[in-house]
Order: sequence, then structure tokens, then C-alpha cells
Amino acid sequence: MKLRWVIVFLPVISVIAISIAVREHAARATAPQVTGKTTSLIKNINDRVPAPSNGAGDLAIPDTTLAINSATRMSQRVVHYEINAKYDASTHVVDASEVLTYHNLTGQALDHFPFHLYQNAFQPNSTFVREAKVADSHDTTYEEWDADDYGSEEIKSLIVVGQGDLTAQLQYIQPDDDNKDDKTVADVHLPKPIAPGEFVQFRIAFQTKFPETQARSGWKRDFVLGGQWFPKVGVWWHGAWNCHQYHATTEFFSDFGVYDVKLTLPPFEVVGASGIKVGEVSNADNTKTLTYHGDDIHDFAWTASPRYKVKEDVFQGQMGPVQMRILMQPAHWGQAERHAKILRESLEKFENWYGPYPYKTITLVDPEPASEAGGMEYPTFITGETSWWMPAGGYEPEVVVEHEFGHQYWYGMVATNEFEDAWMDEGINSYTEVKVLDSILGKNTSIMNLAGVTEGEREEQRLGYIRVADVDPIAEKAYDYYSFSSYGGITYGKTASVLLTLEGIIGEQTMQKAMRVYFMKYRFTHPTKEDFLRTIEEVSGRDLRWYFDHAIYGSQVMDYKVSKVESYPVNWYEQKRSVFQKDDNETLYRSSVWLERKEDFVMPVEVEIKFDNGEKVREHWDGVSRWTKFEYEKKAQVVSAEIDPEHQVHIDRNDFNNSYTVGANAKPARKLENYFMFVSQWISQALAWWAV
Amino acid sequence: MREHQNLLSGGLSRVRHNKRYIFWFYVLNVALAWFGAGAFNNQVHQILDHSLLADRLVNGFDLSVLYEMFGRPEFGPTLASAAPAMHFAFLFLLLTALFLPGVLQGYASTYRLPREDFFRACGRNLWRFLRLMIVAGVVMAAVAAALLGIRSALLKAAEESTNELLPFSVSMATLLVIFLIMTALRIWFDLAQTDVVLSDQPAVGRSIGAGFRHTWRSLGRLLGSYVVSTIVAAIVLVAGLWAWMKLVPPASVFGAAVVSQLTLLLLLIPRFWQRGVAVTYYLQNMVEPIGVQSFTPVSVVAPAKEPLTATVTAPPETQAS
Repeated sequence: MKLRWVIVFLPVISVIAISIAVREHAARATAPQVTGKTTSLIKNINDRVPAPSNGAGDLAIPDTTLAINSATRMSQRVVHYEINAKYDASTHVVDASEVLTYHNLTGQALDHFPFHLYQNAFQPNSTFVREAKVADSHDTTYEEWDADDYGSEEIKSLIVVGQGDLTAQLQYIQPDDDNKDDKTVADVHLPKPIAPGEFVQFRIAFQTKFPETQARSGWKRDFVLGGQWFPKVGVWWHGAWNCHQYHATTEFFSDFGVYDVKLTLPPFEVVGASGIKVGEVSNADNTKTLTYHGDDIHDFAWTASPRYKVKEDVFQGQMGPVQMRILMQPAHWGQAERHAKILRESLEKFENWYGPYPYKTITLVDPEPASEAGGMEYPTFITGETSWWMPAGGYEPEVVVEHEFGHQYWYGMVATNEFEDAWMDEGINSYTEVKVLDSILGKNTSIMNLAGVTEGEREEQRLGYIRVADVDPIAEKAYDYYSFSSYGGITYGKTASVLLTLEGIIGEQTMQKAMRVYFMKYRFTHPTKEDFLRTIEEVSGRDLRWYFDHAIYGSQVMDYKVSKVESYPVNWYEQKRSVFQKDDNETLYRSSVWLERKEDFVMPVEVEIKFDNGEKVREHWDGVSRWTKFEYEKKAQVVSAEIDPEHQVHIDRNDFNNSYTVGANAKPARKLENYFMFVSQWISQALAWWAV
Repeated sequence: MREHQNLLSGGLSRVRHNKRYIFWFYVLNVALAWFGAGAFNNQVHQILDHSLLADRLVNGFDLSVLYEMFGRPEFGPTLASAAPAMHFAFLFLLLTALFLPGVLQGYASTYRLPREDFFRACGRNLWRFLRLMIVAGVVMAAVAAALLGIRSALLKAAEESTNELLPFSVSMATLLVIFLIMTALRIWFDLAQTDVVLSDQPAVGRSIGAGFRHTWRSLGRLLGSYVVSTIVAAIVLVAGLWAWMKLVPPASVFGAAVVSQLTLLLLLIPRFWQRGVAVTYYLQNMVEPIGVQSFTPVSVVAPAKEPLTATVTAPPETQAS
């Protein structure tokens, strides 16, 4: 065969070979079929849970400490969930029974209970999808969204012990908007109110169908992440039920308690879950049932995939050993130690700086690639984010793992209301993320340190903020932000930048102490924003309202500017020197430095003025007036002026104009010019190569 | 294999004997890029020259400073600074088309082509080249669109796989296949261009036909030669970037400029090498033979010491046009 025919056939054969390979792999990727017929758990619910008693007087929340390194319970336990779930990997459907025991610690009688049904958010007319579609806030291309990809969560029956079957009483409510199609909250009225201090038990049969991963829940290929998958009761908070609909920008809020969960799945699945595993049995129908137990947690998530590779390690925590369980994708196995290392280091930093980690386990999941399951936190269970090619100086896995682990403190234990005060978990966590990653990976290199190109966490947070600086205040409900980018930039970026700036005001050590006091005081509770702010004021011993009013409650923007610098000889009228004449250092100069406050955020700032004889002068400006001027008469000229020379202010919208050098330094611009020239010349050459 | 070497060495020899063309194209490349960078330069100087923050770009390269600069209102939309560079890149393409006939004529010449002849070839073939570019553009765009469509479908299927490396492997494999096919098309039109210039062919359709026939006939030789020169280009690019990153101190703007521009100068060579290969191939295989004329010995009336006889042999291949 002649060479040219070989060359012609080569691409054709290649395409065919690639097609075959792709089809084979795609075929393998379909979800494994469960052999045998799936048994309906709903039918058998009454066989599986304790028989209802006539009254609720013998009910209680277990006082177990199996899953924590503590001899006594750590939270005021309000709920006890006992869930028995069977997952069908071929349909992505969970059939389950749930027994919820609720302890009424509200101090008043409760005659109705709202439940979150989060998976109903993944339907075309839900509030979540309406908001997400408009805001383009998730990766889902809704135009290509099939009915098979929708999620659902249906309560098949609801029995209240001692009050009978109240399934018919259930009704969907929309506390946040008028969207009658939103079914993410269901409310049930009880014929007999639950008195203060009493217990009530709900026996629920439900079916959840997971969507193709949306908002860190659902399936992708043969992987599944079971997050927000069961009916969850709202939180009685400040004299009312707090049970918001699921929004595109919101996360969750729930009460602490005990979880006992049985998961029945195909035998080949590798499983990770919140809490600790307390049992595993193989079933006759070619399934296995895993039993998990969690103490002092407020949610339960799980994941399964037949392909996880598991790395286990132990961290010696301050309260006892912590079992680290890392589930990696096979193609990422080489990064397992990298994940373990950052998890260990994060545990160590958090314990040393903020307080002990009391749980016996932490499960880190490396989720299915190209799924929307990466970067999520659940109690004692987090998901990371990486890809098969991750160079050593690109720190995405470290950043994600550290961030999600940080949520074990700021969400997991200090369980703030993520619907209303998203900044208190995401923002405070972003601040501690900066602190932890800076200390581990370097201040200016904690995101990237690759081939001479660097980027630091604190600057990344600030950049996220300054793009949306004047849109929303921090103290805003998560679903009331102007846009998705505003939600992200303010909640994460502004909060981190505001707290870093606060560190400059009260001192780094004081700030760290305040954070520790806040954690220790409010762990296993639902603190408010004022609880946090008051703690900082108390620890620092300073009235910081002027700062909080602008930075937390206001949308004021900061932009200080060195607007002008001038030096001229005092006796300028007596002689005119040649430009070639050397300065004799005896000429007396009058120098002026003008500073300007261009925006409405008022804050005192330091200024450093440098003279050409090496002298430096520090000035303080209260920033109250719109501008100020500093004047000097010296035998030296000003060479530069810089606002905030210690770089403690992280909320200034424009850092370029915070300094001014009298002489132009063209080197940075020339460096960029060189890059620009190189790229444009190369593109020109490539274009001419192929087109002419 | 020997034939490959002949094409490659023959092409390289033509490039070596006409180095000035590469130099002038490089000058053109730099000049146009300089004009194209004007808007960008003004913007960055305005923001960076008097700010101490900009120092973080000198000793190292702090990406956040760059992002903040792009976000400043005074920098304006990124497109505003990039658009002139794109326009000048397109102008470089047009000027390449204008001057290429002169280059091909020079490569075919056994002597240093006079400037007049160079520009005469350019002017004479300008319209022909534009027509060729249009045809080549249509053919290559259609083929590329079809190939990219197939690639996209394969990638979509690959993304369903549980093997995370499969999409990448498919991506690389399909890109390689697309590269080979597009290179074959480039060879076709390179030969057509060479034929148009060296045969002084006003009917570009005939040259396109000839180019196709010869590409088909000698696909292995030609494709091998083109792939080798492309690999050389890739090596030059990687080596240049490596030297830039490893050998040049971050603060040395001058050193970076020297290394980057040297890399760009060297990057021009492989494409001219391919042109040299096309001319060599043309002269070896596509040139129409000219009949050998025998001259009858002529008696010279004037006294001479020796009778004069003259025989004109076939002209050197480069005179075939």
C-alpha cells in the first residue's frame, strides 16, 4: 500500500478507533444495574420503625457520644433522625422511611411544623431554578435540561405519633415569595399542639429522586452525592419558625441532634457519609446496608461511587483521634497525599487558633469530574475539587479543601443561618481561609505559585469584592442580593476583606483571640450577626460601631487617593538652574502632598512620605474631610507618598492610586508591553501560517 | 527517506540563502505589533507608572495586580486594547500575502533576486494570491468546521465516560488528526501558490488542480517534511518560553524582550522552510520541461584563434519560469 493511502486511512482509522473507545467507555459509565427487584420501603415503613405509642411522653433524644471525642453531648439536641433508605443506582431514586423525634425547647407550644424538601428545587418552576436561570448562577444549561434530570422529594405519608396520619394536612408554603409552584417547604398543622419541653415524633415515608448534579447534590455517571435529600424540619429561631424556600444563592439552616442512618445500596458501591460507620451487612437481594451514626450534627450527607479509592489517616486532635477518610477518583490517586496534607494542616491550624475539633471523623470526597458536586460542606463531610492535571504550584485542591474544612467550624459547629446571614459562614470562613492558607502556602502565593506567576488569597478575596463594591451591604439576606456575583463578591470577598482590615485596626493577635472566643462561646448554637460583632468589641475592648456601620451594615465604598505631590525651591524666583546642574543638597524645597477621599467610606489612614534624602515621614489622617494636604519645607524633595504603607486596609477599591511616585517608573508597564507584544506577534504569525 | 531529506535540506538551503526575507518579515511583524500595542501601552502606562503597587509586577508577577488593572475603569474594556492588535495582525496576514510571491520567486532563483524583480513578482501575483486565499479559506474553513464538528461529538461522548483521561486523550488525538489534515490542505495550497508564481499562471484554477494532484501523489514526502518543520517550530517555542522563564531574571525587561523577540524571529523560520520545501518540490516535480534546443555551429567570419561553438543545455531548473 502506498504511503499516501496509509496517510489518508490513518485519520479515518483513528476516528473509528476513537469512536469505539469512547462508546466502550461510555457504555461502562452507565450506572450499574441493581439485580433483583427493588423493594418498596414505603409499604413496609410500619414494620421498620418502632410502633407508635399513644402519647409522646416516652420519647427522647439519645444522649450518645459515639461519634464525638467527648464524654458528654456537646449541643442542645433538638432532633433525632432515624432514616432507613434504599438507593436505586439505576434510577437515582431513594425510597426511605424517616423517624424524626423533635424536642420542643422553644418555650412555647408548637402547633405546626415546616419541613424543607430541598430536592423539589430542581424543577422548572421552582424558585431556585427561576432565580438560577435569570442569574445564570449555576453551571446547568437549563435550555438543555431534560425531565429525567429533574429532582424531586415527595412525602408519601406522614404520621405524628399520638396524633395519627396527617399526610392530608401537608401543604406547600412559600414564605419568601409568591411562587405557588415552589414546593421546597411543606407545612403540617397538628391537631394537638406540642407543649414546651415535650417531644413529638414524626414517622415519614418519602421518595427522593436526585437530579443530575445541581448545587452540590445529585448524580453524575455512576456517582451520587446525597445532600439535602430527606425531609428536614425548620428551626425555631427568635420566636418563629425559620424555614426558607430553597433559593439559587442560599444554603441551609437546621438544628443540632443525633442521626442514625441506614443506607442500602448495591454491593460494589464505595460509600462515604457524615458521622461514623457503625455497621455493615450484606443482604440477600444483592445489596448491602451500611449504618451511620452522628452526634451533635445538624445534617447528614453521603456519597457513593464504585470507583473511589480510599485513603485513611489519623489526626491526633486536641480532644482525641480524628479518622481522616479520603475518597479519591482513580485518576487523582496521585494527589491523595496532597489532599491528606492540607486536611491535616487545616485541622491543626483551626485547633490551635480557634478551638478543638470534637468529631471522630472527617470525610473528604473528591467528587466525580465535571459534576456540580465539588466544593461543598456537610457536617464531618466535605467535597474537594481537582482535576487529573494539577501542577504542584496550582493550589486549587488546597484552597477548596481548606475552605470546606473551615466550614466544619463556621457552619458545622457555629451554625449560623445561611439563608439570612450567609456572610457569617461563607465570609468568616473566607477570612480564616486567608489566614490559614497564608500561613501554609505563603502570603502572596496561596492560590498560585507557578512559573514565576503568583497570586495570594487575600488579594483574590479583595478582587471579588471591589467588582461589586457599591451594590449591597454585607448584612443582607442571601436571596436578596442584587445579583449572583454581588452575593459572591460581598458575602465571601467583602467579609474577608473587612475582617482583614479589622485585624489592622484592633491587631492580629486580638482578632485571633476574638475569633477563638466567638467559636468557643457559640459553637453548637445559632448565633446572630450581633453576637459576632459584640464578641469582637468585647475582646478588643473598643467601640467599633463606626466601622461596623459602614463595613457590615452599609454599602459605603472606600477609595483614598494620593492626588498630587509637588516640590519646588523656596527661592525659585532667585535662580534658574540648568537641568544638568547637580543638586547641592542645600536647596530648600517647599513640598506639598494632597490626599483625597473619593468615596463615602470614612476611616482614619496612615500616610508615608519619602524624600530624596532617604527621610520618611509618617502622617495620620482621620479621613473626615474630602481632602487634606501635608506641607513640608526641607532640603529635600518628595519622591513618593503612600497611603496605608503597612497594607492593612483591604477594602480600598483602587490600590493603584494609594501611592504616587514623583518620577515615573516605566518598568512594570514595559514588562506588560513585552508580554502583549509577544502574544500579538505570535498570533499574527500563526494567522499568517495557516491563512496564507 | 532520502527524498524527505532532499526536500527538507533543499528547502532549508533556500531559506539559508535568502535569510533577508525572514529578517524583513520579522521587522514587519514587530512594527505592526508595535502599532497594535499602542492603545494597550498608553493604558498601562497611565495606571502603573506612578504607582508603588506596580512594583509587584517587576520582581515576580503578581496576577492580582494585573486583574485589578484590567478592572479599573480608566483601563477601559479589554477589547478596546486588544482590537487594534487584532487589526494589525490581520494586516500582517495581508502583507504576507502581498510579499510572498516575491519570496517564492527569490527561493526559486539561483542568484540574489533584484529588488525590482521581487516587487514585480509581488505585484504581478497579488490578485492571483487573493483569489487563492479565498479558495483556500473556503476549503479549509469547510473542512475545519466538519472536523471540529466530529471532534465535538466525540468529546461529548467521551465526557460520558467514567475514565476522566478519555476526554483529554480524545481531544489530543482528534487535534492531531485535524492538524495532519489541515497541514495536507496547507501543502495543497502552498504548491498551488508556488505554481502560480513560478509558472506565471494566471488561471489559478489550474494551479489549484496541479497542487492537488501533486499533494495527493507525494503526500507522504510532503507531509513528513511539513510535520518535521512544525515540530521544529514547537521546539523553538517551548525552548524560547523555557529560556524566558528560567534564564531571564523577573526584573529584567530588556532580557525578556531579547529572548521573546529572538524566539519570535526563530519561529518565522519553520514556515519559510515549508515554503522552501514547496519550491524545491515544485522544481523537482512540477516544472514543465523545456525542450532542449541544439544549435548548429556557427562559423564566424571574423578571424579567430579558435572556432566558436555554442551549445545551450537545458536551463537550470530555477529558470524554468
